[in-house]
This record gives sequence, structure tokens and C-alpha cells, in this order.
Amino acid sequence: MLASLSDVTKRYGRTDGLSNVTIDFPAGQVVGVLGLNGSGKSTLLKLLAGLLFPTAGKVTLFDGPPREKRAKLVYLGENDSLWTWMTPADAETFMQGLYDDFDVGRYRALLDSLAVPKRKTKAMSKGERGRLRLAMALARDAKLYLLDEPLAGIDLLSREKILQSIVREWHTDETILLSTHEVAEAEGLFERVLYLREGRLALDARAEELRNQGRSVVQAFREVLG
Amino acid sequence: MTTKSAWQLDMNAGPIFVQIASGVRRMLARGDLAPGQRLPSARDLAAELGVNPNTIVHAFAELERMAVIETKRGLGTFVRKDAPVAALRHDLLRAAATAFSAEVTALGISKGEALGVLKEVLDAGES
Amino acid sequence: MKGFRTLFWLEYRRSGAWAIALIGSLAFWAWGLFQVRRIELAEQLGIRGMLVAMAAVGGAVVLALMIGRLRGETRGGQYQVLLLSPPSGHAHIAARYTFALATAVLYYVMIGGLACWTLWMSAVPLDAGSIAQLTLAIPLYVLGVTVLPLLAWTLLLMVFTSAYRVSGPGWVPGTVMILGTLFVLRWLIEGIVRVSYTLPGWRLLEGVQTAVLQTTVEAQLEPVATLPQEPLWIMLALTLVLLVIASRIWREVEA
Repeated sequence: MLASLSDVTKRYGRTDGLSNVTIDFPAGQVVGVLGLNGSGKSTLLKLLAGLLFPTAGKVTLFDGPPREKRAKLVYLGENDSLWTWMTPADAETFMQGLYDDFDVGRYRALLDSLAVPKRKTKAMSKGERGRLRLAMALARDAKLYLLDEPLAGIDLLSREKILQSIVREWHTDETILLSTHEVAEAEGLFERVLYLREGRLALDARAEELRNQGRSVVQAFREVLG
Repeated sequence: MTTKSAWQLDMNAGPIFVQIASGVRRMLARGDLAPGQRLPSARDLAAELGVNPNTIVHAFAELERMAVIETKRGLGTFVRKDAPVAALRHDLLRAAATAFSAEVTALGISKGEALGVLKEVLDAGES
Repeated sequence: MKGFRTLFWLEYRRSGAWAIALIGSLAFWAWGLFQVRRIELAEQLGIRGMLVAMAAVGGAVVLALMIGRLRGETRGGQYQVLLLSPPSGHAHIAARYTFALATAVLYYVMIGGLACWTLWMSAVPLDAGSIAQLTLAIPLYVLGVTVLPLLAWTLLLMVFTSAYRVSGPGWVPGTVMILGTLFVLRWLIEGIVRVSYTLPGWRLLEGVQTAVLQTTVEAQLEPVATLPQEPLWIMLALTLVLLVIASRIWREVEA
């Protein structure tokens, strides 16, 4: 198993971010992490990234604690997470200096196909920054990609480009977890969907299976969470 | 076959791989796709349609099973030269006719009247 | 240490503006020192000494703010990016600290230069040895005993509060650490005072003292300073310990 959570609970002060969640992630799955705001999507991804430690239960990544295996994963948080002075060239220096699995050639090709301008990030639109961050993330050759709301607040054209790049760069042995509100737009991408509700795993299903039962991922979303 | 709309994917209409497989058959029947023609790679098509590449692979496997397409190692995926185009055309027409028939039955219209209307519409389409 | 070079570059880009602003602020202090020339000669040295001390203290505060700023980068997600990058906590802490250290050395040596210039303006003749002491020995001693441990402590405070913020309110670990430090500080100073001058002290500024006595009738300077070695060694060791602890806690940080 590439990653797994067993009976994981994460508490923030007195409120629960996630309660008693058990999930296994094999290699080579594109997983949609769906749920309303505050349902625990970000908490789930951060626990897998090792940015948070479980209050109870165990998170395993490549047979170890996530923080120790951090070099093998890509985490794209929901914030901008780029320094305002950074240009795409600075981002290249940064990634190349810190990551052994960063492919400069692929990075430049991605900047091109995602049409990222050669400006400082503070002079970029939110969509352009999102695309730059995605280029940085996808130019790495990792086995697990944790993408937290890469489509949120981004214009339609950028969203389409981002989804296309994810499809193009995905290798069949890599696992992607993508949390999103834009369920309809991204649903074709998911092989498996997790529905979180108030910190609990409400449904874990295969997308084609849902459709075989005559429900789209969006419909199931409404039924489970509505 | 490069426009997204040609595929008419509908997330509410059953598994996507089934829709893609029938999309290829429909294009073949209509002549948008010819025997011997190369299909886009699973990855390209997946990127274009915004679906999981595995879904395309699944659809292609289904079409291969139906002897509609074949994969040539290292060259890509092609519509088979002996793809049963005539049969596909017939199938699609039959499916349309079945739908028509169901509607006729539901409306309680006589066979003769239905055939008359059908002929009328077909004649109008020709001119 | 893998990644140090890149992290140091990052630190330079992150904090370069702070460093430049700090060094640039010396122009303001120099202007102040220059204005003092209109005052009566006997008072000039005292006022100038005070201005130099203010520049030194102000610099320490700015450096601490520079090295410990965190809030914006936690919210913006840059801190998460750093926490998840492959280099160890040692590399991250070392890069941040080394940049602050380099800035601090530059700043305090330049303050030493200002002190020399001040004495020269007050017509105190200085020999080469005194100039070297004022621009190198004394600034580095002051740095080692006060600023370097302060900066290491600030880094530790930053990492410590962020490590224990997510599961509880953020001010709790901060308050615990500040109160703990105040307690330890008193005990530390008492200890240092007790062991000081066990080893022979360093006699500094004899040349300056003599020169000042030659110039002004009523010298305001204290008798020749003999600096104890022990505080320097103790504080440098403490700095190292604080940095090592900060590096270790780095891997416990939640963000």
C-alpha cells in the first residue's frame, strides 16, 4: 500500500478535524476527495503529507511516518505558498536546489503549455499563480501527489489547463489525491471518490461503479452530503 | 474526432468507458472515422476529454474485444481494416428504429399512420 | 548539509530587503552623530556613546524580527513548503541563522566604524590597535554575548510556538517559553557573574582611554575595560544549543 490511514482522528483544540478514518491508497489511483468546507478534506491531505500529526491512529506513507518520507510526495496546499518576489526562473532555482526528482526540462515545457508569464508572482493573477504552482509540482517525479483545491478560485480557462496537465503528466503507477469543490468539472478524472462529511468518511466508491448505478459523482455528492 | 462535443459525454448516462466506446462506434458508422484510421493515444484523448486515461484504456479494450479497433505495438491504436462498419450502421439504425417504435406504441398510433409520418419526415430530409 | 546553498539563497531573497534597510539605517545614526558636533566638547562623547548604543540595541530588535517573522508565511503556505522540502531541520535553521549572522556582523562592525569616526570627530587621536579593537574586537564580543544568543532564541521561539500551535491556542507555547526564558535568564546571569574572571580578562581600549584623557579635562569614560572571557564562551555555547534544539523541533512542527 502506498499510503494508509488507520483509525485516524485529528483534533484541533476541542473540535475534531477528522474522526476515526480508515482508508488505504494503493499505487496508481486518481482519487477525488470531496466534501463541503470544513468536512476534513484539507486535514486528510495534510495528515498524509505529514504537515499534521494524528491525535490518535496511524498514518503511514511508503511504510514510514509521512514527515520522514516527505521527499517522495508532492503537496500542493490551498494557499498560494509562493514568495511574492519569485519569478518562474526563481521557482526553478528553488525547486532544482531542493528536489532531486525535479525535471527542469519538464518544468519549462509545463510553463509553456500552461502559459505561465515570466513575471513576479505578485504581478500574476490567481490563475497564473495556480498554474505556476502546478508546473512546479508536476515537474517532480514523485509517487504521491496531494493536491488541495488546485481549482479553487481559478478562472475557467486555467482550470481546464490544469486538469489537462494533470492528465498528461500522470503515470499509471502514481497516486493522485485531488480535493475540490468543482466536482462536475473534475469528476471524469477520478477513478475513486471519497466523500467526507463532518470529519467522517461518508462514502468511498469507484466513480464508474456509481455511474453504472445511474448516478454521477455529482449526484452521489448531493445524496451523501445533502 | 478532435472536438469535445463530438463525444457527447454525459456523467449521468452510465459509465464513461461505455460512452466512449459507443462514441467511437457512432463516428465509425457515420463516416467521421474510417477503417484503418489511427485513433488518438489514450493519454491525448483523456487530456482532451478531461477523463482518467485508464477510462480510455478500458474503452479501447472494450472496442478491441468487439473487433472494432486493434493496437499495433509501438504504432498506436487503429480502426481495424475489417471493422464491421455495415453492422454498426445497421445496429445504430435499429436502435433509432426501436426508440421510434417505442414512442409509437406509447402514443397508441397505428402502424400505418406511423409509417406514413416516417416517410413524410424522410422525404422532407432528402429535399 | 544538503540544500543549504539554495536555502541560504532563499533567505537572502526573503530577508535581503530587511538587511539592506538595517544597514541603510546607519546613515541615519551617522547623521545624528554628526549633528552632535555643535554641542560642548565635554558632553559630545557621552551623547555619541548613547547614540551608538541605541543603534546597537535597535539593530538587535530588527534582526530578531527579521529572523523570527513567521505569521505571514504560515498563512501564505510558504512555511508548509519549507517544512515539506527534503533538507533537514539543521539545514533550514542553519541557512536562516547564517544569513542573520552575516547581516549582524556587517552591521555591528559598521557601528564600530561609526564609533571610531565619532572619536575622530571629537578629536581623539586613535592608534591602529584601538581602531581594530573598536571595529572588530568589541563589536564581535557584544554580538557573541548578546545578539547571537538572542537570535538563536528567537528562532527557537518561532519553531517552538509553531510546533505546538495547531492542537491548542498559539499564545500558550509562546508565553511558556518567554516566562521560562526570563526565569532561566536570571539564573544564567548569576552563574555567569560568579564564574567571570576565572580566566584572565581581555584588556581593551587602553589606547582609547589614554587618548581621551589627553583630549578632555573631565573624561566621562569608565576605567579601562577588562572584559571577561567566560560570558562569551558560555553564550556562544548556549547559542549552539538553542540552534540544535530548534533544528530538532523543526520536524515536529505542524502547519
